[in-house]
Amino acid sequence: MKTYAILALAVLAQAIGNVCLSRGMKEFSSANSMFALFSQAVGSPAVWIGTALLLLFFLLFAAALSWADLSFVVPAISIEVVVNVAFAQYFLKEPVSSVRWLGVLLISIGVILVLRTGKETMKSRIEGEKTGGPFG
Amino acid sequence: MKTAVLIAVMVFADATGDVLLTRGMKQVGEVSTIRPRALLSIARKVVTNRSFISGILFFAMTFFSFLTVLSWADLSFVFPATSLVYVVSTLGARFILKETVSLQRWAGILMVCLGVALVSLP
Repeated sequence: MKTYAILALAVLAQAIGNVCLSRGMKEFSSANSMFALFSQAVGSPAVWIGTALLLLFFLLFAAALSWADLSFVVPAISIEVVVNVAFAQYFLKEPVSSVRWLGVLLISIGVILVLRTGKETMKSRIEGEKTGGPFG
Repeated sequence: MKTAVLIAVMVFADATGDVLLTRGMKQVGEVSTIRPRALLSIARKVVTNRSFISGILFFAMTFFSFLTVLSWADLSFVFPATSLVYVVSTLGARFILKETVSLQRWAGILMVCLGVALVSLP
């Protein structure tokens, strides 16, 4: 339960953060080099707020990983794709076609299938330190 | 084209960062306290952990590529596309770490690929 609450907060911070970053960076779309892009971006409050929120996401995600397996945490936040696209549509007024929504749905289910394998989770729970996540 | 290249950089850096971060935090141990002094000592362990630091560097690379792409591409395309990280991680697990990958996992990979293909349609 603690894990779900932390992860819900993480996803919310991430989605709002990404909206801020996207809105901030779009103002510099005419920059003709990466140097020009970033020297303009450091002066943008939206980019800083977005960065801070992504940092918050990162801290919550890292904290969850200290007690839960990646094979549990990642499927649990696979809803992030849906939340981020919904926020992009609502707050940034990006046009999202029904084909794109279908793609988003497939990705979410796909991510759950990739990592949520009950057996693997139990095994790494028992073995703990030794396995250190699904990638060894 | 440059969108595809930057998304590829993002995905590879993200996959590497994930593995390193997990290893680092597992070495540090469970964060089960909110007492400031205990948190400080955990924080000290975290910032001196080599895996964790390298993980952060890879995430920084991911982040800057992400910012760059966002300056011209839609968030509703870029964010779902980053899910390709799971495809890369699984291929890495199968062909570099020689892990067995279950049928369920391959099915998931296929769905993610199909999903990203649909998302990238104009």
